[in-house]
Amino acid sequence: MFIVTRYFRVSVVFLMVMAIVATYSPTGAETVPAPRSIEKLRNDVQSLREQATQLDEENQGLRNMLRDTDDNELYLVVDTESNRLEMRQGNTIVLTAKVGTGSRQVVKEDRGRSWYFESPMGSLTVLGRERNPVWIRPDWSYVEENMPIPPKNDPDRFVPDVLGKYAILLGNGYKIHGTKWKHLLGTHFTHGCVSLDDDNLEIVYKSVKNGTKVYIY
Amino acid sequence: MQSYVTSKTVWLLLLFSILLMGADNVEQDGEERGKLLEQQKQLSVRIKTLKRQQDYLVFQRAMYASDSKYLIINISKKTGQLKYKNRVLKDFHFKRVSGGVSSLTRGALTLTQKIEGTRGRNILVFGKSLVLQGKNAPANELEVTIPRFALSKKDFRSVYYAIEPGAKAYIMR
Repeated sequence: MFIVTRYFRVSVVFLMVMAIVATYSPTGAETVPAPRSIEKLRNDVQSLREQATQLDEENQGLRNMLRDTDDNELYLVVDTESNRLEMRQGNTIVLTAKVGTGSRQVVKEDRGRSWYFESPMGSLTVLGRERNPVWIRPDWSYVEENMPIPPKNDPDRFVPDVLGKYAILLGNGYKIHGTKWKHLLGTHFTHGCVSLDDDNLEIVYKSVKNGTKVYIY
Repeated sequence: MQSYVTSKTVWLLLLFSILLMGADNVEQDGEERGKLLEQQKQLSVRIKTLKRQQDYLVFQRAMYASDSKYLIINISKKTGQLKYKNRVLKDFHFKRVSGGVSSLTRGALTLTQKIEGTRGRNILVFGKSLVLQGKNAPANELEVTIPRFALSKKDFRSVYYAIEPGAKAYIMR
């Protein structure tokens, strides 16, 4: 009886020690001071899994939305500070060329009219294309040269062979065209149009179409 | 004597079986807990990455709807882009001039000031987070602790005149 009782006592003490040891989790002890219930941990992981799935779906939706806006169309960029034109498609630069842009000069007329020669800034669109364009001299051209201003349809206003072989129309009289003053390309010397050398003008003319975007900044 | 041995054996068997049952449970629980904690860690990292991606995607969507030009600045590649909607207008490179870049966290910044310096030495100030400048711009106008990146003179002129206060820059790391 004594022996049984002794064994019983020893067993109880041993079991208590083991119970304490069993509640200690070496893995959990590294990161979590108080051991969480396994059930709570399962719920936490499940919740994180759902959150990740939701974020993944949302991101995919956003990516699809942005992909829809990416038409991969060719477009032109004119930097009026460095007087450079780039023809781009996506992230690829198809062509780079020196250009002439607005002189940023003002011409004043005695009657009070004045003109500020700046290239049009912003997002423009190719509205048309011309071969062998004819320059229709505006009033400022006569004012600039101290010449009398002729009537609107005076033949003197129609000047061929000064805009090069091609012109790309941007609206409001602004064009991308050729120039006689090729040595000035890379500077601000035009009356607002964008001037290009003949070779690059031909490439650009043949590459763009009506609706092509032109960004001038 | 036989009764003593039998009794001892029974006790020992009982004790071991209880101990083994407990040990098995503890081992299983520990194994699962380990796996769950590892999953939890991996999922937390993944969520952080997805949130970062989402922040940039949301920024791109906002910029597509906006009529303002903006910058994308990649610190690790030391390259940048001037963009309008989804179109790249200009690519550029830059050098770090001063200030630690560790304080520059990924995300959007706003151009707060365009400071015209003498002889074209202008700077673009994005709050207390970043200064963009051309080469040879003076370094003493703002605290040197603010990260400063220098673009080539030509590139900086283009960027300087292309954006206005309120324009955004997105920092990529």
